[in-house]
Formats: sequence, C-alpha cells, structure tokens
Amino acid sequence: MLALTSLLIFVTLRVIPGNPVITRYGATRGVDPKALEELMRQLGLDKPIPIQYLDWIGGVIKGDFGVSYFSQFSVTTLIGQRLGPTVELAAIALALALLISIPAGIIAGVRPNSLIDRALSAFATVGLAIPPFVLAIILVVIFAVGLKLLPAQGYVDFSENPGKNLTLVLLPSVTLAIVAAAPIVRFLRASILETIQSPYIRTAEGKGLLWRQVVLRHALPNALVPTVTVVGLIVGYMLGGVVVIEYVFGWQGLGALAVDAVLKRDYAVLQSVVLLVAAAFILVNLLVDLLYGVIDPRLRVGGQGT
Amino acid sequence: MTVQGPRVARPPDVRAAASPAASGAPVLDVRNLSVSFATPAGPVTPVRDISFTVAPGQRVGLVGESGSGKSLTALALMRLIHPPGRVTGQVFLGGTDLARLDGRELAKVRGGQVAMVYQDPMSALNPVQTIGHQIVEAIQIHADLGARDARDRAASLLADVGLQDPLRRMRSYPHEFSGGMRQRVMIAMAMSANPALLIADEPTTALDVTTQALVLDTLSRLVAERGTAVILITHDLGVAAGFCDDIQVMYAGRIVERAPASRLFRAPVHPYAEALLQSICDLDADITTELPVIPGQPPLPSALPSGCAFHPRCLYALDVCRTTEPAPFAVGTGGAMAECHRTDERIAGVVIAPVVGPGVR
Amino acid sequence: MAGTRDLEVAGPGAVALPGVMRRLLRRRAAAIVLVLLGLLILSAIAAPLLTSYSPTALAPRDRFLPPSPAHPFGTDELGRDLLTRVLFGGRIALGIGAASTVIAMLVGTAWGFIAAMRQGWTDEILMRLADATMAIPTILFALVLVAAFGASTVNLAIIIGLLLAPVTARLARSAALDELKSEYVLAAVASGATRTRILLSEVLPNTLPSLLVLATLNAASAILTEASLSFVGLGVQPPEASWGTLLFQGYQKLYQTIWYAIFPGVVIFMTIWLLNLLADQLQSVLDPRERESSRA
Repeated sequence: MLALTSLLIFVTLRVIPGNPVITRYGATRGVDPKALEELMRQLGLDKPIPIQYLDWIGGVIKGDFGVSYFSQFSVTTLIGQRLGPTVELAAIALALALLISIPAGIIAGVRPNSLIDRALSAFATVGLAIPPFVLAIILVVIFAVGLKLLPAQGYVDFSENPGKNLTLVLLPSVTLAIVAAAPIVRFLRASILETIQSPYIRTAEGKGLLWRQVVLRHALPNALVPTVTVVGLIVGYMLGGVVVIEYVFGWQGLGALAVDAVLKRDYAVLQSVVLLVAAAFILVNLLVDLLYGVIDPRLRVGGQGT
Repeated sequence: MTVQGPRVARPPDVRAAASPAASGAPVLDVRNLSVSFATPAGPVTPVRDISFTVAPGQRVGLVGESGSGKSLTALALMRLIHPPGRVTGQVFLGGTDLARLDGRELAKVRGGQVAMVYQDPMSALNPVQTIGHQIVEAIQIHADLGARDARDRAASLLADVGLQDPLRRMRSYPHEFSGGMRQRVMIAMAMSANPALLIADEPTTALDVTTQALVLDTLSRLVAERGTAVILITHDLGVAAGFCDDIQVMYAGRIVERAPASRLFRAPVHPYAEALLQSICDLDADITTELPVIPGQPPLPSALPSGCAFHPRCLYALDVCRTTEPAPFAVGTGGAMAECHRTDERIAGVVIAPVVGPGVR
Repeated sequence: MAGTRDLEVAGPGAVALPGVMRRLLRRRAAAIVLVLLGLLILSAIAAPLLTSYSPTALAPRDRFLPPSPAHPFGTDELGRDLLTRVLFGGRIALGIGAASTVIAMLVGTAWGFIAAMRQGWTDEILMRLADATMAIPTILFALVLVAAFGASTVNLAIIIGLLLAPVTARLARSAALDELKSEYVLAAVASGATRTRILLSEVLPNTLPSLLVLATLNAASAILTEASLSFVGLGVQPPEASWGTLLFQGYQKLYQTIWYAIFPGVVIFMTIWLLNLLADQLQSVLDPRERESSRA
C-alpha cells in the first residue's frame, strides 16, 4: 500500500515539465551550462528516473530523505525541525476536539430535537461546512485584529518560550479543533440516538440503573464503537487542514514547509513530506482498524456459541 | 379438544402448604391502568383501563395476539414507557403506588422488587459487555457487595439456572451463547435481587420447542423456590397452560376474561377465548378438515369498533354488543370474570346458537 | 385484494430520479436550499448585469472603503468594487467547481462501476489505486499536482476533478454492488442480458439518486479545494480571481480592512453549506424509512 503511494507521488512529480535546478537559478539564460550539469549531478538528477526513485526509497528506509534542492539542509533536517510543531498543533487540536465533541454528541443524542440539540447540531453543521481557513480568518479578525487579545501569526519553539508558544498555538488549534469536532458530534449524536433504541438499554433501565448511568455505562460505550472509524477520517481531514492552517498562522510546521516547497519547486522536500503525511494517515487508519477489533468483542476471532 | 404444550414439571405446590391466601396482601394491585400515545392523528390507547391483582407466589398468564396490548402492559408496570407514551392509573407494588415515585425511587424498585425478563435475549443483553459484568452490575445495584462477593453470587446464580462452569462462562460475551443459555442468564439476572414479582415477556418465543421446555422448567423451579409471583406474557396457549395458575386473556387493550387455567381451557366463557382455543390445530383431526380461524383481524388501537371491541368477529354478537362496552361480569366466586354481555347465558350452560347477522363479516 | 401488487419485484427505476426530485421539492427546507443555490448560480452567470462596475476598474483614491450603499461589500486595495469582484469571482469558482464535479463523477463512476462489474483482479487493482490516492490528503496532493502542471483554470478543474474521482469510485462501486444483489438484476442475467446492458439499464438508473448525493458533496469539496489552493496563492492567479484568490488578497490586507477578507470568506462558506444541506435533504429523501411514511 505504502509502496504504491510512494510510487504515485514520485511519478507525479517527475512527469513535470520544468527543471527544478533551473528554478533555483532563476532563469536559464546566463547560467553556465557546466555549473548546471554539476549541480544536477550533485542532486542526482542526471540518473535515469527509476534509479532516482530507488535511491529515494532506499534512503527513506534508512531514514535519509535526501537533500533539499534549495537550502543546504538535508530534507531530513528540515523535516526534523518542522515535525515537532505540526505534531504539537495536531495533538492539541485533536485533544480539544474530543473534549468538545464527545459531551456535545452525548447531550445532543440523549435529548433529540430539544433546544440544546438543535443548537449543537447547528454548530456541527456550520463546522462541517466552513472551510478551515475561513474560520481561521474569522477568529483572527475577532481575536487578533478586533480584540487584540492574541497574536495572529508566528511561531516560537516550546523549549524557548513556553508561554509564547502556547498563546501562538491557541488560535490555530482551536480552529482545527472546531473543524474536527463537527463530524464527531454529528456522528456520535446519531450513534447514541440509535443505541438508545436498542433493547439492552431497556434491560439496563429495568435492572434499576438511573438514566444517567444507563447512558454512560451502556449507551455511550456502544455508541463510541462505530465513532472510532470517524476519528480515523478526522485525522485525514486534519492532515489536510493543517497545511493551510499552518500557512495562515505562520506556524512553522510540515504544512508550511510543503507550501513553501511547492512555491519553490523543491521536489525533494515535497515528495518526502507528502510521503510522510500519507504514511501517517495509513498508520492511523491501521490503528483504528486494530482498535475496532479490540473494543468490539463480536469482531474478535473465535468462540461462536452453539 | 386438547391443548398440547411443552410439558413443564411442576414442583409440589409450595404455596399451598405455606400461609393461607389471607396472609397475602396482593403483591401487585393494578387499577385502571391505561397506556396512550399521542399521534398526529390523535391519541391512541393500546391499553385501556385494565385492573387486576397478583397474589404472592401466584402465576398469572397474560395471553393474547400481537397488538392486544400485553407487552405494553408489562412495560407500563415497570414504568419503562417513555414519552410520547403516557401511562395513567395506579400500580401498587407491595402497597406503594409506583406512579408516585420519582426516578431515583423507581430505580430502586426496578430489579429489586419487580424484575423483567425480555423477549429476545440476544438483543436484550449488551453485546460489548461480558455476561459476568452484566449480572454483577445487576447484583451490585441492589446489594451492597464488593466485587468478589458479587462475582461469587453471580456464579451461584448461574449455577442455579443450570449453566455449567459458571465462573468461566461469566467471562464470555452474549454472542458466544445459545439462545436458551442467554435466556437463562436473563432469568438469573432478573432473579438476582429476589424480586417479589417477575414479569416474563414472551420468554420462550425466540426459542425452539425443546429449549422452551428447558427454560420454562428452570423458571418454574426458581420462582417456586423463592415464592416469586410471576406474570407470564405469551401468545402461546400451550405455554400458558403448562405454567400458569390463572390466565388473563387480552383483546384490543382490555382483559376480556380472567379464569383459573384449568377451567379456562375446559370451559371458556368469553367468545374470543373460546375462538382462540378452537383455533388450535388439532393434531388428531382429519387432514381434510379446514383449519378453524377467527374471521377478520384484531382492530388497530386507532380504529376500535364501537361497543364491545370483539363484536365484529363474534359469532354471538347482539345489538347491545355493538352499542355498549361490556363491564366485567363475575364468573363464580373466585375472582374469575368475563367482559361479555352474554356471560350469564354462557355460564348457565345455555347453548347459544351463533348469530348470523350484522355482527359477522 | 391488495396483496398482489406487493408481489411484483421492484423493477428498474423503482427509486427513479423523477420520483426523488418530486419528493425533494415537497420538503420546505429542501426547496429553500434549492432556491438559494439557484440564486447564487444565477448571480454568477448574470454578473455583468448585476453590477455597474467593471471588476478591473481601478480607482486608487477609493481604496479600502468599508461597505456602503455605493459599495455594498466595500473596495479593495486598488479601489475596485468588491461586490463586483465577488460576483465575477463566483463565475470562476463555480465554474471550476462544476467542471471538476463533472469530471469527478464521470471518471469516478466509470472507475467504480467497472470495478464492481468485473470484480476479481481488475477490482483489486482499481481499488488499491484508489486507496493509494486517498491516502494522500487532497490538499497536499493538489499542491503537488499544481506544482507539476501549473495553475491555469483548466488545469485546476482537471486536477480537482481527478482528485475527487477515487472517493467517487469507491462509493459508486458499493452502490453498484448493492444493486447487483437485487432480484431484478438476477432476472436480467437470467434472461441473457450482457454485462454492459445490465450496467446501463439496471444499475445506473437505480444508483442515480445516490450518485446525485455524491455529486452534491463532490461539488462542495471541489469548491473547498479550489478555494484552499487559491488561498495559498496556488490556485487561480491574479488578475483573474476566484473567491479563494480574493480571500488570499484580503488576508494580506487584513489590518487595513477586514471586509476584503470577510465577504469572500462568507460567500465560500455559504455555498459549501448550502451544498451540504442539499446533500442532507437528498439523503433523507432516499432513506427507505422516509419512503414508507407519509409526505410533508
């Protein structure tokens, strides 16, 4: 699977017209052909394409992503620098998203068509429809330009200045969190609604449990099982959203790196970043599949009773 | 006419040897219970103003076709009917009117003093929890036991219902069990707090005949040992015959006849009860005889006939049956009754010729 | 007796498109959404008629004016009327959105149907390919493709269309597989129909309603992707401007005037929202439970 994806990425980038080396020099004219050749040799661009691909993959497996066409840094260094911020952003956003969406989904599901349900569902619909960058702009307008409470852009490493880092990560992570929370709320609500119709809920109530206990102990766990798949999808959204969000907020993560790389035609960087992201996505979905097997005993291999 | 049903071994009648009936204030005293639903087309009342009592240790059968209102009655007793359903009337359980209790108090009663066993054990058990977990939960709600004690108690309950190797079984999930085993687990769960009343809603409908017998046996034994009163809801007359002391026949939301089981099957009074018994396929009859059926369909709760709800299908209907709802007429002195205008004639043994007229479709 | 009609096996077109549309229009919410969408599309098409300004008319003295009766959306850094720019931007945004949706549906449906009909190896390979493509988040892949092929309007439509095709293929494939299990397909096979014929006359008409929902959702994704690309400067390039491009320019001037960014942003949001709502409405009309219950 991964192999196929990497092949896809590579092929796409190589089919391109335009020599990246030339972009680096700005124009074809006035460039010493010899220097051009030298550079191409250095970057490995003179070898036939299949060899280039194998070189790249070989390197990746060893952890070496190659050398950037532009900066002096190896791609590995660049990715290393930018990985931390992206992970920080994504992790905080995911945590916030779950924190908001799970209680919201439960409340909406337990009291369908009530005022609070309608409000929550409306929020969810908006969150689903709004493009992350539009939400980002609105938040920036309100909090940075308008209220002047938070900075609009920038990045400071956590180790340098934790306080500043957190204020800077606040807006971007809230934006991502809202966008990620919306589908979860929707799905969980529907899942809870459906679960509550199940006969075992009546059994639980008939045993003498308080309604609150019935919901939390019997409805919620069962409703969460299918919701796990949605979380897998969310990570996908987020990985895409992260790109634009980082750009908007000047957050120096992998997303911003990718956009930069595209603008500069720095394919070495681009192909590795995209590969990494795709790998992360595949990994997460794999984990979700495994998790599913763990939490739903019906899916475990073995014991069918007589 | 014989009634064939699963032969249930009845342990010697413990109750008769115990204190006389006078010691029993009834375990359950239902008065004017009604269940209604608000629909866009107007309110619909599938259970209409029924009243009955259950004595300690008594086994009452609630018999009727689908749609007669029997399951809703059971749910209404446990107060498990939620809006848009509305329950009115009084339900006295051991002297307390359940209608007056709030959520917390009701939770104490449910499972504790009255428990229910449901129709489809597969969907009635939580599929992602082990059955051990579910039984222990049931135990811990009503008894202040630690985890270990509760587990031991659960294991002994499971042994009581005939499950082998209970401690290991407790770690299994519902889908790993057969239908009969699941139903016995549900019985164990329901009986875990020694309720005074057990309501069994079609406990054997989802099972094959052999397993039916097994489950009913188990149930019978358990309730006899503990003196639990039982309301058994079923559409299977055979099951009711083998298990119950008294039978209440429901039709269109009302109890149309109440009689001791033995007498009902011999000499039903209400025409519906009679028709039901006649419609049982007689295995000894000639294969060419037509299967007896009751003409017509049970009425929908939203479209009840005037007067007696059974009159359009009744062979003996008179004009009064069309216009006036029959009140309960006593049959004998033991609390038996029938809601039929022609009760007296039928008790007297007068052979009534079927009326061919506007009553019959 | 009423019974015999139920015995008829549901034939092709049982859940046909006209029936769905009729049911849809009877719902008040759906009608409102359709009307609003219609207005949106109409305003884009009729842009020149709705505004007296030209989108390129420069008036440097009137830069960054806030909304006013003369300029309902305000003006930009070169004094151009924003409402006009948004209207014309709609032409491009909706144009690309529509074109890419068409491409996505055509390619994706063919892809999915072929996989469903052929099964076996072909199915495997086609779906693996789809999965590999879907593993890369759309925006990133779009970035890569734009880097490769440049960001002309035509390119954008093709790129976005192709990016939405794998998801479409997957869903089209499962819709087709569902249909293939039905009795009337069995009947068609039994009567000797060829695979192509079954595809065209049985599978396709019955999957049309679900495909319609898919198309609506694809349209929303397409508009989102194009806007995202333009917003990072890699989509529609100036002097042409889609809503995303306007947002891009507006964001850079955010401290001078917020309206430059707000209006295009809101318009993008509304369009996507309306499309999502439409998809929702279509979805519930198709829900079998809806079909049995009474209307309105």
